[in-house]
Amino acid sequence: MVKLARAALWVLIAAAGAVAFAGLALSRGERVSAAWLLTAALCSYLVAYRFYSRFIARRVFALDASRPTPAVRLSDGRDFVPTHRWIVFGHHFAAIAGPGPLVGPTLAAQFGYLPGALWIVVGVVLGGAVQDMVILAASVRRDGKSLGQMAREEIGPVAGFTALVAVLGIMIVLISVLALVVVNTLRASPWGTVTIGLTIPIAMLMGVYLRWVRPHRVLEASLIGLALLVGALYAGRWVSESPSLAPLFTLRGTTLAWLLMAYGFAASVVPVWLLLAPRDYLSAFVKIGVVAALAIGILLVLPPLEMPAVTRFVDGTGPVFAGKVFPFAFITIACGAISGFHALIASGTTPKLLERETDARLVGYGGMLVESMVAVMALVAACVLTPGVYFAINAPVAALGPTVESAAEAIRAWGFTVTPAELSALAREVGEPSLLSRTGGAPSLAVGMAHIFSRALGGGGAMALWYHFAIMFEALFILTTLDAGTRVGRFMLQDIGRHLWAPLGRVSWYPAVVLSSALFVALWGVFLYQGVTDPLGGINSLWPLFGIANQLLAAVALCVGTTIIVKMGKARYAWVTVLPLAWLAVVTMSGAAIKIFSSDPKLGFLASARLFDAAARSGVLPPGLADAGAAAQMAFNARLDAAVATFFMVSVVVIIADSAREWVQVIAGRKPARTTEVPFDGRHTAAAGAGD
Amino acid sequence: MGAPRSQGAPRSLGERLASAARALRMVLGAPDYERYLSHARERHPEVPPLSRDEFVAARLRARYERPGSRCC
Repeated sequence: MVKLARAALWVLIAAAGAVAFAGLALSRGERVSAAWLLTAALCSYLVAYRFYSRFIARRVFALDASRPTPAVRLSDGRDFVPTHRWIVFGHHFAAIAGPGPLVGPTLAAQFGYLPGALWIVVGVVLGGAVQDMVILAASVRRDGKSLGQMAREEIGPVAGFTALVAVLGIMIVLISVLALVVVNTLRASPWGTVTIGLTIPIAMLMGVYLRWVRPHRVLEASLIGLALLVGALYAGRWVSESPSLAPLFTLRGTTLAWLLMAYGFAASVVPVWLLLAPRDYLSAFVKIGVVAALAIGILLVLPPLEMPAVTRFVDGTGPVFAGKVFPFAFITIACGAISGFHALIASGTTPKLLERETDARLVGYGGMLVESMVAVMALVAACVLTPGVYFAINAPVAALGPTVESAAEAIRAWGFTVTPAELSALAREVGEPSLLSRTGGAPSLAVGMAHIFSRALGGGGAMALWYHFAIMFEALFILTTLDAGTRVGRFMLQDIGRHLWAPLGRVSWYPAVVLSSALFVALWGVFLYQGVTDPLGGINSLWPLFGIANQLLAAVALCVGTTIIVKMGKARYAWVTVLPLAWLAVVTMSGAAIKIFSSDPKLGFLASARLFDAAARSGVLPPGLADAGAAAQMAFNARLDAAVATFFMVSVVVIIADSAREWVQVIAGRKPARTTEVPFDGRHTAAAGAGD
Repeated sequence: MGAPRSQGAPRSLGERLASAARALRMVLGAPDYERYLSHARERHPEVPPLSRDEFVAARLRARYERPGSRCC
């Protein structure tokens, strides 16, 4: 009887999800409520978790709660600490959640809500969550080894080296594009600049407090930091309203770019207790708090989606970024559906904390489902804006022109309506001089969130505070990735430098620290500066590169996962990872090829380089460029981007070819199906934990 | 955290708060010195354990040396 009731419940959940999807897909012309989208996503996640993740846990990996995990066997009170699964879940989620799933879906909303929603849900269920869980389970069976180590040991040295270089390349592109999002958010915005700027001394104050005033009282210091953040919000407003101070903090994009580079460098060389650690605590609090608040806000308001299901821009003529819905919707959404970066975390801290193997299902698969839900909420927040407002914020100057009148005219030509007065009123309402062409996704997401929060909690006058609160939250997120990423990049460079000259590897030798930090900042700074000075807004070229890079890393992870499944003698289940791998290969290869070779200069890097070359020679410059030198620089930048995309393409081919060779040899019986798994010999039991 | 322990109920409000705070610190990934200390005393009683300051400094340094603590 109970069994029957349970079966009926799951049939009901599945049916509700199917009906919600049908409602979304079939609505034409009328606005649909966000409730449909949330129901469709939630029901899909429930069904996938209940059935698919269990299939992977039981059939593919045969996860066994009695098999001792590295946390138990190698327990050292430091890295390896058996931890309750819900705490690991929280820790893992806080580590994987970043700005990616917020920005990607916002940009992809130019195609309408449907393509984004479908890929976020289908992609996570069959791809992203599978990847995270498989890598986590594989790492748990291998004493918590990293993705790079597993690639080298399971596939071979070529794959291992490719993985290593890919990670470095991805870090560079990731940090530069995220920094560009911050620059676009803060340029000519004294309020935002002051608020975000103040978060740095606040973190340092927390660091000092934790070291000397009340040592190690992390929660206490975080609460003080949170209170100061609210103060920073008001301080920003005060500055923006002061006629003498506001101009001082009204900065140009290039100035902000230099400031961010200086910040990244400083974060990499100063002690971690002073800046990085307190910022991380603060960011984790704000992250979890805002995600929860956004979920509650959306549930309370259940706003209608103003964006149509599918816009005309699926044909590739969209102003936010160039390219058709295939493959660019899949590349743009990035982290909300599948993120290779998560494989680094699932093979980093998390596997060393799992108390039981079977927890990999909740932490790996479940954690990614929640991340995907965040992406769905970001999509909702972008789609509650009317299309006119959405495009006014997200389209570059080159498409909109400099004034609200030119913007309204351009948007009318695309078939959406918005008046110049509406655009001015909205900017006034959020306390900004202008919202036009604030590309990068963060500002339009902040407007959407402010809209939802002010409707949920009342008080239209609070729009400006909510907007800047949302901006602060996003920037805090991004800057914690930027500073910690720069430091990690420095260590990676030092590790490589060690092979050239041993002292370069010394992590506390000042010249080596300064040199490697400066080099890493320069590597991402070049791309950031190129993006800031790009008349097309920079996001158009850099975000796709990031998406391709992130999916390349996912391809590496899925290759490792497939190899491990094949070597476990489970080749009949290899489709679990081969299916998403094949899709990613098609998406990244076609995306990269289009970005390099397309004859449309908005889309293809090489075509764009030729256009700028011609402009530099003829002296007839496109709008936004000062002189022939600037045009020549743009041509160089486009060729650099083409080279980076080529490198990513070659890496995908190498890693897949190298893995496939291994699979064929094992399946054909020419190589023993032996893995580097730590054997389960029965000597250890989970309860005894006889390790050390 | 500073709340007094009550004698009667198996879990007083103070104890609940303390365990919630501990869970929160673990989610944040803050260094857990108590855990280390009990581990060190139990498994390696012959070696003097690190001081709290040494332990925390070492954990924080280690956290920011590898990719895998931070994501996009």
